[in-house]
Amino acid sequence: MKNDVIIRFSHATIAYQQRTALEDISLEIRQGEFVGIIGPNGSGKTTLLKSILGLICPDTGSVQIFDCACHKLRCHHKAKIGYIPQKGQIDPNFPVTVMETVMMGRYSSIGLLRRPAKRDRELVLNALKEVEMDGYRDTPLGHLSGGQQQRVMIARALAQQPEVLLMDEPTTGIDTPTQQSMIHLISDLHRNLALTVLLVTHDVNMISPHVDRLALLKARLFAVGPPAEVLSEKTLSEIYGKQVIVTTQEGGTYVIIGDYHHV
Amino acid sequence: MELFTKPSAIETFYEAVMFEMLSYEFMQRALIASVVIGLVCSIIGVFVILKNLTFIGAGTSHAAFGGVTLGYLIGFSPLYLAILFSLVTVWVVGYLSRKGYLKLDASVGIFYSLTMALAVLFIGLMKAYNAEIYGYLFGSILSVTNMDMKIILILGAIVLLIVYLFFKEFHFITFDEEMATASGIPTGWLSFLLLNMIALTIVISLKSVGAILVFALIVTPAAAAYQLTYSMIRMFLYSALIGVGSSVAGVVLSYWLDLPSGATTVLFVSAVFFLTVIFSPKRRPVFSLR
Ligand SMILES: Nc1ncnc2c1ncn2[C@@H]1O[C@H](COP(=O)(O)OP(=O)(O)OP(=O)(O)O)[C@@H](O)[C@H]1O
Ligand SMILES: [Mg+2]
Repeated sequence: MKNDVIIRFSHATIAYQQRTALEDISLEIRQGEFVGIIGPNGSGKTTLLKSILGLICPDTGSVQIFDCACHKLRCHHKAKIGYIPQKGQIDPNFPVTVMETVMMGRYSSIGLLRRPAKRDRELVLNALKEVEMDGYRDTPLGHLSGGQQQRVMIARALAQQPEVLLMDEPTTGIDTPTQQSMIHLISDLHRNLALTVLLVTHDVNMISPHVDRLALLKARLFAVGPPAEVLSEKTLSEIYGKQVIVTTQEGGTYVIIGDYHHV
Repeated sequence: MELFTKPSAIETFYEAVMFEMLSYEFMQRALIASVVIGLVCSIIGVFVILKNLTFIGAGTSHAAFGGVTLGYLIGFSPLYLAILFSLVTVWVVGYLSRKGYLKLDASVGIFYSLTMALAVLFIGLMKAYNAEIYGYLFGSILSVTNMDMKIILILGAIVLLIVYLFFKEFHFITFDEEMATASGIPTGWLSFLLLNMIALTIVISLKSVGAILVFALIVTPAAAAYQLTYSMIRMFLYSALIGVGSSVAGVVLSYWLDLPSGATTVLFVSAVFFLTVIFSPKRRPVFSLR
């Protein structure tokens, strides 16, 4: 099971009107893998996740998940992919509670014309427990802090009972201790629920101790493999256009990139 | 307000309402129509407010008016043509924005003026002055006929049924359409369905509230309810209460004080809106009502 390929990019190229966001990407992600995706702003990380969800189709080449071309994904396939988008603006006055937000993760599986049942409520409460937010079920979503909102979004994805979790910068804009606990939470979920996780981030150092592989992206896939292999001074400085120092400390690889703010 | 404190005023009010008003068949119709319209508009209004579709409501009501004028010009049912014009507007506008050709607001802007230009043209082409047309612009609930009543009831029931059936999907789509799509909700046709329901709601209200004012009946109750609660269900409840209450109050007051019904309703619901803004627990923790 562990070695089954669940997501497959073969020579996928995706362009918006003028700009090529992804160029000739070939990448296979196996079931149960935890892959971190890094790269500078505008390098196509979000586009990569969106193409897996079938929100954007490749112009040439193909993107497949569960052995199905992404633009042909049926609703029951999509229900198995939990997606946490790059943090948008949540209208703090939008009338929705934490419980209602997480319940939305169930809607697709519940199906049209049917109401949530007892089992759906159980799944929602379990998901809230997983992210330690069960004390907030009736709180308006807009009343939570950024980190708490992000936990709720993870709970919403978990309530889908996904096989794959796609996360786009889930820790951006969150204080460092909370970031650490979020990463541990994600790492635990990956292990306990045997989830395949793709996580986009700018924080190489935070993510590299937890992932199986890192993918370094800048329109093209520059490197992919275990963190120690991918994080070389040469490749990183080429991509970020800044001086890069890679050190090994306490068994982990540590990266300092020029005056790049996010790292 | 002072009127209500004087016993004589209350007596005259009750006499006027209870005995005189309800004895007329057209007033009974007007009241039933105002309840249905108030309810449908305020329910759809919640989605319009939360999904920022405010401008599409305005555009569609003017398109519907274009249909009405064509109806009078060629001697065909104004109502059917209003339905056709407003549906075609949301179809084209929805299609353009889905395909990424033009932002929703921009294409609504084009249709808004296009259909108004058509309306002016059609009116100009008419041989005789027709006062009824202006009824569609400013609304006159007293002119609602038995035939209109049937259409209001049927279309109103359709809109409410659709909202009831797809409530959870509409909720998700208004919250975050991309997330809904990603999790496997068929958002394409559901958002389209929602746009169509907005168009139908406007058509239902056209004759009684008027193309220019209908919009207030859709947006204002929901906007008022938005000030009061953080729960989606409560927002629907408050919006419906404010919508139906204002709609009925508008008819009763307009009859009693001999004022135009559409304008009276809009003034009433706007007053309610400003009260909710002042007393909103969201902005004024001092007055917290929760
Ligand atoms: N909707 C769009 N229309 C046109 N171009 C787009 C669109 N979305 C992204 N792009 C372009 O595609 C490229 C990749 O964008 P993408 O959002 O995938 O980058 P990213 O790696 O997620 O960046 P960030 O770190 O800032 O989130 C960018 O050059 C961007 O300008
Ligand atoms: Mg991004």
